[in-house]
Amino acid sequence: MMAESGDTTEKNQLFTLKKWNAVAVWNWDVECDTCAICRVQVMDACLRCQADNKQDECVVVWGECNHSFHNCCMALWVEQNNRCPLC
Amino acid sequence: TNPHSRRYIGLDQIWEDLQKGISQVYARQSMERKRYMELYTHVYNYCTSVDQSASARQGPNPTSTPPPGRVSAAKKDSKAMTGAQFVGFELYKKLKQNLQMYLAEKLKAGENLLDEDVLLFYTNQWEDYRFSSRVLNGVFGYLNRHWVKRECDEGRKEIYEIYSLALVIWRENLFKPLNKQVTSAVLNLIEKERNGETINTSLISGVLRSYVALGLNENDANRTQSLSVYKEAFESHFLADTERYFTSESQQFLAANPVTEYMKKAEARLQEEERRVQLYLHESTHDQLARKCEHVLIEQHLEQFHAEFQTLLNDDKNEDLGRMFKLVSKIKDGLGELKTLIEAHIHTQGDVAIKQCADTALNDPKLYVQTILDVHKKYDALVQTSFDSDSGFVAALDKACGRFINKNAVTVTAKSSSKSPELLARYCDTLLKSAKVSEDAELEATLKEVLTVFRYIEDKDVFQTFYSKMLARRLVQHTSASDDAEAQMISRLKQTCGFEYTSKLQRMFQDVDVSKNLNERFRSHIASSTPLDLDFSIQVLSSGSWPFQQSVTFSLPVELERSYQRFTNFYSQAHNGRKLSWLYQMSKGEIVTNCFKNKYTFQASTFQMAILLQYNSATSYTVQQLAENTQLKMEILVVSYSSQIKILIIKGTSLFVRFSDQPKKLFLIKKLRVNINKPVKTEQKQEQEVTHKHIEEDRKMLIQAAIVRIMKMRKQQKHQQLLSEVLAQLSSRFKPRVPIIKKCIDTLIEKEYLERLEGEKDVYQYLA
Repeated sequence: MMAESGDTTEKNQLFTLKKWNAVAVWNWDVECDTCAICRVQVMDACLRCQADNKQDECVVVWGECNHSFHNCCMALWVEQNNRCPLC
Repeated sequence: TNPHSRRYIGLDQIWEDLQKGISQVYARQSMERKRYMELYTHVYNYCTSVDQSASARQGPNPTSTPPPGRVSAAKKDSKAMTGAQFVGFELYKKLKQNLQMYLAEKLKAGENLLDEDVLLFYTNQWEDYRFSSRVLNGVFGYLNRHWVKRECDEGRKEIYEIYSLALVIWRENLFKPLNKQVTSAVLNLIEKERNGETINTSLISGVLRSYVALGLNENDANRTQSLSVYKEAFESHFLADTERYFTSESQQFLAANPVTEYMKKAEARLQEEERRVQLYLHESTHDQLARKCEHVLIEQHLEQFHAEFQTLLNDDKNEDLGRMFKLVSKIKDGLGELKTLIEAHIHTQGDVAIKQCADTALNDPKLYVQTILDVHKKYDALVQTSFDSDSGFVAALDKACGRFINKNAVTVTAKSSSKSPELLARYCDTLLKSAKVSEDAELEATLKEVLTVFRYIEDKDVFQTFYSKMLARRLVQHTSASDDAEAQMISRLKQTCGFEYTSKLQRMFQDVDVSKNLNERFRSHIASSTPLDLDFSIQVLSSGSWPFQQSVTFSLPVELERSYQRFTNFYSQAHNGRKLSWLYQMSKGEIVTNCFKNKYTFQASTFQMAILLQYNSATSYTVQQLAENTQLKMEILVVSYSSQIKILIIKGTSLFVRFSDQPKKLFLIKKLRVNINKPVKTEQKQEQEVTHKHIEEDRKMLIQAAIVRIMKMRKQQKHQQLLSEVLAQLSSRFKPRVPIIKKCIDTLIEKEYLERLEGEKDVYQYLA
């Protein structure tokens, strides 16, 4: 419908769109953006990886409860307790 | 084989002929080998005949019959010894007397001579005597090897090898009575040379060689040379003379000439004296002479030098400055005052240079940085060429630059010490946007210059913030001139400040690459279904690395809705678990006019596009209506609005523009592409204020982190030590102010990271 109206009214309209360069940022689609284990935002690498200079390898994990953590932090956690630290 | 070996030969038998021979030797008459051998044999015969008779008596004693008793054996031994001693000593004594008489005779001819005559006499006599004594030493070789050697071995100090004996006799009989005349003649000659006359230096070197040779070390069994005679008879007088001469000369010269001329003179004098040592003095004099000259020629006049140094700096007399540096650096601890002076001078120069252009430079990063660089370049070159890159002067330059770069007329006007890093970052921005930097060599040089200034910046964190903001804008808006230049700059910052400083900058760089890839995938994705009705591209950035604020409320115009939907769907399929936030304030586009004779293309922000599109449905709106339709906040709306619609005047079929800084003039637009998305100045200013506020917040976090790190390690710490450790830890980033550190400590106490130790006034304790 939009395309149609664009076609038919183009001559009457003052302005027509030609180009759009959009900018967006992405986040992990999670409820809480801070890793409850190391208290660093999940978009950043966890403290361990920051110290070891392995920022690129530090990924995020989350479960059904949608609580998110750094993978490395979670790997250490599950050794002690096999459930989400926040649930 | 010797026919005389078994006969006893007395001294009187040989002495007469031997004495004749000695006279022959000292007359330096040529002597045939045969005659020489005769003389040698006389000595040999004399020594051996006695020696053999002694050893014949002594011979059976140690080997054949067992000794009757220790006492008698010892007696016989000592008897044999004294026998040998007695006879050798006679010959030795005779020879000594003979030489003494010979020299006493010689002395008569020289006693009354002065100046060059006495030098000529002394050196000639010395050369002859020395040569003859060498021959004599050969003639008496047998005596040397046996009798003299034994005497010496037994520690008799007054017995010398014949050559040394000759020297000792010379010293006593010729040198002693004559040396005052000779030395003063030498000193006169040296003074003549200092006055510019040409002299016969071989006379001096001859005398001094003799003085050196006469320095026999009496206490050393090996008779090594000592310089005692040279030092006493010549060097001490020479040094005193030198001091006298140069003291009066330098005072007179300075009274009549400027210091610059004096320095040339002093430099020449020092070189001359250096040459003097090489040419005809003993090398051991070198250090003392140099020190004496330096003391008299330089150290005595240091105050005048210091006063002149300032004048030379003011007049940029680099050559004279270099000369002064070379002279003063010879004096121990002499450079201290010069360093203080040059530091103050560079600081003033920097201050003045910036003050002169402060009004413009406040908003002209290029002028500001270039002004700093000009001062730095000038004095860096001075330090390198004139001051030999002396570490103390390099430090003075650094200190002075650090001071005027971080605090000057511009930072005072801006009321912020963070103005310098901000302007430097803005300078980088203009540099990296300009196409010129794509030339390699020039880029290299320019980046180096930027880093030169960067190193002096105290608030490196402010630079980081502004730099990352502007890098973000360059990357998103594609205004960067060269990826290569960007990468180089980042790697240089990394070299200077470490990985952490640039890690976010690098992430941003990577994101841009990832986005390019993503766009291609999206394009092929839509090509396989219905194409979009506009040219769409997007940059998807990872949150956290980019210094952008979150999105503002905005109702996307329907014309953009389809692109938005298509991409959102595509992205959520490609990247499960991610959610996108669109930054409309960063997005922009192009919009084409249909209402003029010419088709103009406006480059506009998304908000401006949304506002313009409203006019497709009606010709006039109130501001309130526009706000309602776009859902934009009033302040954003006004900014977007005023930077376009207020300045767009549509007259008939032509487009005129009124620029906001010249509101009374209309400009006819001839170009078909018009950028209406120019940031307004007030917007920039606000943004800077916000940035500075953010920096303050970040600093508090950094200070708190530093305090916790320190306390975790120390457990307990006194207030003052804690402050200095925090300052030290953060100095590579910025200079925290003490009141802020105190505030941070209080915050941490509130948050129960720390507590004050009970009973102690100023001790903190870490709470795990």
